[in-house]
Amino acid sequence: MICPRCESENVDKLVDSPVGDVWEVYMCNRCYYSWRSTEDASVTDPAKYDKRFKLTEAQIAKMMEIPPIPPLEVE
Amino acid sequence: MAYKTYRDLRDFLATLEAEGQLVRIKDEVNPEPEIGAAGRAAANLKNGPAVLFENVKGYKGSVVTNVHGSWANHALMMGMDKDTPVIDQFRELARRWDKYPVAPNIVTDAPCKQNKITEDINIFEILPLYRINKYDGGFFISKASVISADPDEPQNFDKMNVGTYRIQVKGKDTLGIQALPFHDIGLQLKKAERLNKPVPIAITIGNDPIVTFMASTPVKYDQNEYGFVGALRDGVPSDVIKAEETDLLIPAGAEVVLEGYIKPRVRTVEGPFGEFPGSYSGARLQAEVKITTVTYRDNPIFENLYLGLPWTEIDYLLALNTCIPLYQQIKETHPEVKAVNAMYTHGIGVIVSTGVRYGGYGKAVGMRVLTTPHGMPYSKIVIVVDEFVDPFNLEQVMWALTTRVDPIKDVAIIPNCPGMPLDPSSNPPGMHSKLIIDATTPVAPEAVTRETQLLEPPVGYEIWEQTIQQLLKAQQAADPVLA
Repeated sequence: MICPRCESENVDKLVDSPVGDVWEVYMCNRCYYSWRSTEDASVTDPAKYDKRFKLTEAQIAKMMEIPPIPPLEVE
Repeated sequence: MAYKTYRDLRDFLATLEAEGQLVRIKDEVNPEPEIGAAGRAAANLKNGPAVLFENVKGYKGSVVTNVHGSWANHALMMGMDKDTPVIDQFRELARRWDKYPVAPNIVTDAPCKQNKITEDINIFEILPLYRINKYDGGFFISKASVISADPDEPQNFDKMNVGTYRIQVKGKDTLGIQALPFHDIGLQLKKAERLNKPVPIAITIGNDPIVTFMASTPVKYDQNEYGFVGALRDGVPSDVIKAEETDLLIPAGAEVVLEGYIKPRVRTVEGPFGEFPGSYSGARLQAEVKITTVTYRDNPIFENLYLGLPWTEIDYLLALNTCIPLYQQIKETHPEVKAVNAMYTHGIGVIVSTGVRYGGYGKAVGMRVLTTPHGMPYSKIVIVVDEFVDPFNLEQVMWALTTRVDPIKDVAIIPNCPGMPLDPSSNPPGMHSKLIIDATTPVAPEAVTRETQLLEPPVGYEIWEQTIQQLLKAQQAADPVLA
């Protein structure tokens, strides 16, 4: 399985449904996208995920930090 | 007259139901897209109700959305009649605001402590988490009241903060949180991160609607929100209790409390998230929270809000609580100001009604709006109308614009001012030009070229308003089909 958004292979199953065996939730360890197995293919299938919301490794590397991490003070 | 107050969310939901402002969905629903879709639908209705989902597929608990999402619900939150006009809700809030501070009661036993988990935490077991909008980066907690303290003075009650920040679920016991630099929690995080220390927090979900209302109200850093909660309950203090792991004070009736800390000097991908201007925010590297203790009531209710293209629940939640602080600040220097409507997109659009002391005064009031702490970054379009115009009545505001404005002299554009980065028209993000439209009637020494005599309502019209309303109510009671 790969992440529908950033297509990383570093994906884990986060949880099974607490009641019944009706869905699982997965999460990408690179872009933190999460999705439920019962959601529409347009948000769970990498081939169908809207290109405007896709993320690449290069984009993540250049992402803005909010808030910026301040300089460390030594006590 | 004593206004009704609520112990907790459940107490308020009972009132909403009794007043016909809550619907229960008993059939099983899929978490996506049903809960978000119902939140959108409820906001589309005039005086839309809260929607309580009792059976969410795969989950144990229930979800309620649109609790604040109509003027009827908003009035009931204040203990007023559900038909109360917005201007009257504004005036009543302004009156109660002046009762600040009213200290909360610190209790030692509370419903939010009924259950406690400290090991193998999995918040999916407690909260029916779901995706709100299709391209949100995950499942978001959009309506929690987050409590944190000043790292230098953790015992300083005034600096203890109760705020609403968007929260993304990033694991069974891990969350992302948006702490913007100008937010109180952003200031606390900066202080702690300089020393590489965590910020202890308590994320409380499902509260007395006034707690949630105050958590999303911009007040000063050293003004404690609980002090305003008591004021807005018309002087009736609310109950709070100490958190399990810290001295943070949490609402006693909270449905779920997630205690933990913001990890120092950690940022991971967060978002996008459908935000209040009606568009998605970008994905950014933001702070992370580790949850270490969960307490919750029996059969907890997950209260969450839908936000979409305005208006949706968030616009009601951020409406009058944006107006009141602006009104209080402007009134200090401009006592002629009668009311402030800053409820369009969290105060990006503002309409002020004011008396006019001398020529050009309307423009001066507009400039004052743009120099208040909230107005400086947020407010972009300011319309100033006469004191007899209700700024919450857009038909009246349009009348003022169409009959009082001469564009060549009454419209001013100020370039290169502070802006709100989430406003997609802010360019570069964080900068903006500003617009003031002075729609007040000209007075001397401004040239008054044409005197106008306003039409006045015929004598006795107020009595006729009451008579007609009573007749309508009686008619509806006799024939519910007409209701």
